[in-house]
Amino acid sequence: MATTIRRTPTRPDVAPPVASDAAPPAAEPCPPVGVWWRAYRHHLRLLRNAAIAWIAGVSIVSTGVVATFEDRIGTEAEMQALEAMEDIPALEALSGRYVEIATVEGFVLSRWGMLFSILVVVWAMLASVRVLRGAEEAGHVEPLRSGTITSRGLLTSALAALFTTHLALAVVIGLSHSAAGMDVATSWALGGAAGLLAASFATTGALASQLVASRRRAVVIVGCFLGVMLGLRVLAAATATPEWVWWTTPFGWIGFLHEVDQARPAVFAALVALLVGLVGAALALAHRDVHTGVLGRRSHRVRPARAVRTQAGLAARLASGSAGTWGTVVVLVVLVFGLLARDLAQAAAEFPTQTELTKEMFGVVIDTTAGIAALAFYFGALLMAALAAGQAVDIREEEATWRVEHLLVRPVDRTRWLVTRALTSVALLALIGVVSGIAAWAATAATGDAITFTDGLLAGINIVPLGVLVLGVGIAVVGLAPRRTTALAYGFVVAAFVLDFAGPFLDPPDWVLQLSPFRHVAAVPAVDMNVGAALVMLAVGAVAAAIGMLVFRRRDLQEA
Amino acid sequence: MTRMDAPPVRFVETTKHYGQVVGLERLSLEIADGETVGLLGPNGAGKTTTLRTLLGLLKPTSGRAEIFGLDGWRHPVAAHRHVAYIPGEFTVWPGLTGGQILDLLGTVAGGYDPTYRDELVERFNFDPSKKGRSYSKGNRQKIAIIAALMTRAPLLVMDEPSSGLDPLMTVTFQDCLRQAKAAGQTILLSSHILSEVEAVCDRVAVLREGVLVEHGTIAELRHLQANTVEATYLGAPPALDDVPGVEDVQLRDGHLRLHVTGSPDPLLKALARTEVTAIQMREPSLEELFHAYYDESADVPAGTAG
Repeated sequence: MATTIRRTPTRPDVAPPVASDAAPPAAEPCPPVGVWWRAYRHHLRLLRNAAIAWIAGVSIVSTGVVATFEDRIGTEAEMQALEAMEDIPALEALSGRYVEIATVEGFVLSRWGMLFSILVVVWAMLASVRVLRGAEEAGHVEPLRSGTITSRGLLTSALAALFTTHLALAVVIGLSHSAAGMDVATSWALGGAAGLLAASFATTGALASQLVASRRRAVVIVGCFLGVMLGLRVLAAATATPEWVWWTTPFGWIGFLHEVDQARPAVFAALVALLVGLVGAALALAHRDVHTGVLGRRSHRVRPARAVRTQAGLAARLASGSAGTWGTVVVLVVLVFGLLARDLAQAAAEFPTQTELTKEMFGVVIDTTAGIAALAFYFGALLMAALAAGQAVDIREEEATWRVEHLLVRPVDRTRWLVTRALTSVALLALIGVVSGIAAWAATAATGDAITFTDGLLAGINIVPLGVLVLGVGIAVVGLAPRRTTALAYGFVVAAFVLDFAGPFLDPPDWVLQLSPFRHVAAVPAVDMNVGAALVMLAVGAVAAAIGMLVFRRRDLQEA
Repeated sequence: MTRMDAPPVRFVETTKHYGQVVGLERLSLEIADGETVGLLGPNGAGKTTTLRTLLGLLKPTSGRAEIFGLDGWRHPVAAHRHVAYIPGEFTVWPGLTGGQILDLLGTVAGGYDPTYRDELVERFNFDPSKKGRSYSKGNRQKIAIIAALMTRAPLLVMDEPSSGLDPLMTVTFQDCLRQAKAAGQTILLSSHILSEVEAVCDRVAVLREGVLVEHGTIAELRHLQANTVEATYLGAPPALDDVPGVEDVQLRDGHLRLHVTGSPDPLLKALARTEVTAIQMREPSLEELFHAYYDESADVPAGTAG
């Protein structure tokens, strides 16, 4: 019999007594469907916010195109001019397939359809790679896979969540467009096709996520797939290309949604078949080791490894990866437009209404080669801005993962580190501007109707200040709200672009439109460079960056 | 300017709050040149906050933290010339090889001993030719350890440095620590591996909820804590109710177990009145001390740090 005389709780070796010899209650097993449902909801939560933003943004712009059609194309002459465009292949290369363009349905599908499709699939692919390969790369998959859900169960739950967002897109497009005055059947055809297109490209992202072991490589794969599909679409619009080439790419299928083509069942059958095929392929490859890709790892041995001995060298190494990818896209866009510039300009010259419309939408008069080049650089400016936002996100990533700690616990000044990263990014932006300018000159020269080398160069340089402005804003966000960098930096670019592109359709006060920096990027080489606006953008970017650096210097490092 | 005659580490009333959450509360602690100090505490006790505040990665809410007399927040670059740091979780640049990362960190640190680097690479059986993304957690940690040790910095600051290392590598790491200590380097080590702290450290500091609850040599801490006494006796149990320093007395079938704090003399005199057939007295292990200080129900003697 034990007798406890005194006891205090602070004694070192007194373990709490085990009061009961009863076995702990067994956990209630969750049925497989329940596990799958929870995984589905988990993925849906991951996708929700970005999906809402994309669907809302795309739908508002698209519905705006429908709602303002009659205001824009009011006269009979304009209607006739639009109808005459149906026989111009070069115009089809850059927008939708031209069928019944003088109707609101034809106008939306033809003029807006291509850009709309690109916006939808880019979102779908990036979201897919993020929740599939990105989550696995970040180590979030093991806790799920170590449970009772299989690799294929996990993939189907993610795909189901992705498809739910695509269904939402289809419903929103169908409802909003029919409410805005577009034919109900065409509205739902567009919505349904957009949803299926998004699902197909999202599944391409899922497939790429099975093939390779890193998110970055998966993005490269889906980017290449997107590029090939767009390339085929541009090729399909060329004069000498046979009609069947339209059917080699989903972007071509979308062109046959017009009611007069009587091809909607074929379009939907093709989209469904593609989707089923891709889902099957992704599922077939999904049963693999975690943290690997079916294609296996590339050899991680590098002989000889190039030395990286300074923080400037490190900055260049880190910044050049994404800048190289984005820069290549900028140059390719400029090259494609440049090669088509002569035909496009000639076509536009015959149709003043088209030229006027393009001027309203993009602020560019496109009846000359220089005008088409300026249009190319309008899109180049968008890509440059996205690149700059990406650079700010990359900078934040160094802090979020605490890699910057390795440098800052050594004799490296915080401000110097951030300045080095920022200047490296600015140098890359400038390099991309120069190369794209030279590409524009070279491409137009190849068609025999060249812009001057100086004009090409200036056109490339002209989009750099916008990039610097966005980078500066991004760095300010890194300093002030580091955990919101991705949303705010890319959000700034999207908001500015949408304001410039779609704002005029809504007839806001002029000062509201002037808030978009895109509005201040001169249409070089069609017009002279606006040096004043460029300097203001550089100055605003520099001030924003300085604020970001000042705050970054005075605040704690913050992990993700 | 760095004052090499100043203590390598000095916290002066250092406080760090994250909004309403206390990360560190009025920490005052000094580490002398060549000393090895272990920082103990459960998760969330403030160990990492302490180290990051010292290194100027976090801004103190009040007070200051100095490295060789230099405020880590105000003069980080000058202060960091004499520090090497090993974080608990070392994330690498996935596109760089281990060798590139070591070169970079060594150069940025202001220089390193290449011969010692090669020796460490060999001792830790580390392959520097692989890309960062392919390294396991243990191998990533080896990069951090080698990068810090190869600089031979006068002050080594380590946050759970051996986490992820296998037992053999842990022994190698402890050998390296002893070597660094023998070379006169000052070490501030946060660790959960108590045997590591016990084997290497001259002093330990115990944190709980951001407060330094105790510090001193391990012998001093043992002195402050109760020793365990076990004895067997014949006849009637000894009367121990009023014996100073005696607590937790358990008597069972001629067997006695209790804790005694301070001098055992009164206890021995009390036991002398009983026929004791065997007696054993044992100091608390560091693990037992650790549990004593971490016990949530214990009173926290705040502000006892000096």
